[in-house]
Amino acid sequence: MDKLLRNKKAIAVFMAPGLILFTVILFVPICQSVYYSFCEYKAITPPEFIGLENYKTLFKDKTFWIAIKNSLFFLVFSCVTQLIMGLLLAGLLTNIDKGRNLFKNIIYLPCVLSSAALGLLWMFIFSPQFGINKLIETLGVPNYSVDGPLWLMDTNGFIVLPMWVIAFVSLWQYVGQSMMLYMAQISGISKELYEASYIDGCTKAKTFRFITLPLIRPMVATAMSLNAIGSLKFFDMVYNMTEGGPNHMTEVLATHLYQQGFKYTKYGYASAIGVVLLVMCLLVTAFINKVVKTEQYEM
Amino acid sequence: MKKKIIAALMSTLMVASMFTGCGASGSGDSGSSDSGVEEITWMFWDDLNATEDLISLGYKDVIDRFNADYEGQYHVNVVTTNLEDYYTKLNALVASNETPDVFICSPGPQLTDYVEPGIAAPLDDYLAQDGWKDTFTSDAVFTQQTYDGKIYAIPLNTAAACCFYNTEMFEAAGVEVPTNWDEMLDACDKLQSAGYTPITISAGTAWCLSMVAGYLCEAEGVDLAALADGSASWEDGKLEAAATKLMDLSKYFQSTAAGDTNDVATANFYNEQAAILIQGSWAIGQMNGANADFEDKCGVFQFPGVDKVIAKSDSLCVSSTTKHPEACAALLKYFTDDTAQKYTAEVGGKIPVTNVEYDAEKAPAQLAYVMDVFSNAKGTFGFYNESMPTTETGSHFDDTMVSVFLGQMTPADAATDMEEYYAANCR
Amino acid sequence: MKKLSISKIIIYLFLIIMAIIYVAPLLWVLMVSFKENAEIYTSPFGLPKAPTFENFKFAWTAGKLGIATLNSFIVCVITLIFSMIIGSMAAFGIARLRWKLARLSLTYFLLGMMIPVHCVLIPLFTRFAKVGLTNSLIGLIIPYLTFSLPITIFIMVGFFESMPNELIESACIDGATIYEIFFKVCLPLGKTGLFVTGLMTFVGNWNELLFAMVFISDDLKKTLPVSLSKFVGPYNTNYTQMFAAIIIAIIPTIVVYCAFSNQIVDGLTAGAVKG
Repeated sequence: MDKLLRNKKAIAVFMAPGLILFTVILFVPICQSVYYSFCEYKAITPPEFIGLENYKTLFKDKTFWIAIKNSLFFLVFSCVTQLIMGLLLAGLLTNIDKGRNLFKNIIYLPCVLSSAALGLLWMFIFSPQFGINKLIETLGVPNYSVDGPLWLMDTNGFIVLPMWVIAFVSLWQYVGQSMMLYMAQISGISKELYEASYIDGCTKAKTFRFITLPLIRPMVATAMSLNAIGSLKFFDMVYNMTEGGPNHMTEVLATHLYQQGFKYTKYGYASAIGVVLLVMCLLVTAFINKVVKTEQYEM
Repeated sequence: MKKKIIAALMSTLMVASMFTGCGASGSGDSGSSDSGVEEITWMFWDDLNATEDLISLGYKDVIDRFNADYEGQYHVNVVTTNLEDYYTKLNALVASNETPDVFICSPGPQLTDYVEPGIAAPLDDYLAQDGWKDTFTSDAVFTQQTYDGKIYAIPLNTAAACCFYNTEMFEAAGVEVPTNWDEMLDACDKLQSAGYTPITISAGTAWCLSMVAGYLCEAEGVDLAALADGSASWEDGKLEAAATKLMDLSKYFQSTAAGDTNDVATANFYNEQAAILIQGSWAIGQMNGANADFEDKCGVFQFPGVDKVIAKSDSLCVSSTTKHPEACAALLKYFTDDTAQKYTAEVGGKIPVTNVEYDAEKAPAQLAYVMDVFSNAKGTFGFYNESMPTTETGSHFDDTMVSVFLGQMTPADAATDMEEYYAANCR
Repeated sequence: MKKLSISKIIIYLFLIIMAIIYVAPLLWVLMVSFKENAEIYTSPFGLPKAPTFENFKFAWTAGKLGIATLNSFIVCVITLIFSMIIGSMAAFGIARLRWKLARLSLTYFLLGMMIPVHCVLIPLFTRFAKVGLTNSLIGLIIPYLTFSLPITIFIMVGFFESMPNELIESACIDGATIYEIFFKVCLPLGKTGLFVTGLMTFVGNWNELLFAMVFISDDLKKTLPVSLSKFVGPYNTNYTQMFAAIIIAIIPTIVVYCAFSNQIVDGLTAGAVKG
């Protein structure tokens, strides 16, 4: 068997299409982009090498630090809440019989919709004149549309209110994805294992704790890395709900990159932000894999 | 087994190429250059079929007329995106040497971006032909499009930022049209006591608030050119005074101004929930379209305390690498011919750039008022955020004004902040 | 036994509340799409006064949503098929085949997930323009496919790794070739994984706007997200038309999703996982 799995030709056949495509289409532009980060490049004029200048400006850029802060907040928030809610929902849904598909589909539904459209929808819902504030007012709190919180424009606090709003909305949208990943993995656990544990007198909660959790641990690492990368690169929802405003208070790395690169055509500078983002993603994924994916279980 | 896989792969590939083949053949006439027709592209920031914007619909007419009249000689293909992604796409096309032959561009730093590297071509030669230039109202319409004495873009129409007001509410509150700053505050006060919301504005869409700030700065005598070259300072008290005035005025804004978007703020006005809207004249079509009874109730006055008006024009550039300059010039002429300019005034509600005679009866009532304001003004100036050295500086100004409004900064802080920004980035 | 049913009630109550939070905003979109644009400002939460199909008609004809849906379908389905084949092959190679650089190549693929798409947009576009791949659906399929690979590989590696060794061993003993092991043993077992990744990539590509916007100029080759953005005007947005267009755009996704999801779940309960 070992010989079969070490067959060089087989390895080439399996890996070549993916590797070639990836290298040509993605890796080369990534390298180009890294090069641009050392250039003054406005996209419409040829790049001009300026060394570390972009990075120097970057570390003096106030908005960049706000973006780092918000992105890190987003990272922690989404990793923690997606893990808890995703596991909770997956656990609950695998343990009920009636309506499992219905609930699963409903919760997964926002994942199939475009963030751009949903961002618009939520912007409407949080707008002071006819959003939830108005709804609460109609339900009996007088003057709430005036006195209620300015969901997307409040600027107080270390992490501003709009960031929390966006974080919750993105949890709402993407928790279905984590849930699906966990459910897919749980459904692969052999039924005998569960039956054996019930015979031994385990409660459902205990089975979840001692059988399900350890067995889906690799998937936890996978889903968490996906979350982490996704949240660091998070763009659509922020851009459509606040565009990084008011006054850059809700800027995250990806929106800052987009504004600098495309709105102000500082493509070289934007590439530098992209490189920082790439490095952060690498660090976080390495960290998650080290901490979460400690050992593999044989099923 | 292996053969099966390969067969499966091949068949999917075939299906794929078939589908894409379909897509390619669907585009039809794009490759008909052998028949002698000169094909050019025109790039614009609104979809001509799905739009409700009256000016965009007017451009659609122009394109259709052009293609019909020049059938067999010229043909223009339209490429559109929405405004949000317009420059992203345009820059990508420029970067890959596929610059559209004719493209729209905002005057100001954005136009500068295309003029300085030589992407946009100077148009003086074409303007000189057949007395085209003489059809324009004056040379002043080209001010924002001129670099080193050469004209790089053709303006198509002018919109002016004015104060629109609800005449019924003014009457009910016993308010006259204000002509200076004190009267403005007084008028707002009276409107408020009469139970109306005096002003509707959007701080959620930063440029709306910034437009008012621009007027206030102009009233204080802020000199943007001197600020850019460093001979004046933002901290000379003028911006502080303007920002303080903005705060005084903000007492009369609708209570949800901080979160309302431009759409909402404008809707407040035409749904008669507020007395004054400070907005560009492009909003006329939108207002009359949404509330048909509103035209009779809507008056216009000049922003009090300033003798100039903020004006903005849609401008078209021609690529310096175009293979069909004559076709481009012919297209540009269609945009400024009498039919197009008449439409601009009578339907679009914007100010024409040529001396066309149009039927004032047909034009929306508000246009006549805007024209009055425009002709009584001592001159025009651009949007503040489009008159600064870079687009980013303009956005920074917008953001700073929103911060002042939200109470994050005092007017003095705002001045310090702008000065620091200019010192670091603009001089 | 009684205690159990109480916990069941709590579970269902929780799920029902969740379901309401999920469905309510979407129902609101549906409701608004039957209104006139002015009504959205006067009574955003009320039922439509005079329900109208005009928005849908306008969105369908003016937005050219029919051809856009077809384009999106072509692009996404082809991308889906190829990314599943190429991606799971590479994942199998990384997870199961024994060679030194397996781990490293996984990290290499992961780079693709970490780079923001905005960074590679211009380099990729200029490259594609040179070879004449812009303004064609193939020019969209290739980047979509490549962007789908990392996530497909990443998730499928997890699935292949967690498969019991004995399976492959016994197949080996039966004299199966490596290709047979992959297509006949491992791939069917990774069906749930394929379904989830397939769904993720399909949905991601279905909603992708930036590339489609920049790469496609021809009106007849635009995909759905680009067509949706047509309703955003330069100075004002017609929300009711846009919401109608959004409804039209999501219906195919939901249909496809429902069709597939039930099939997969049926397959699971029928005992596909024998362990």
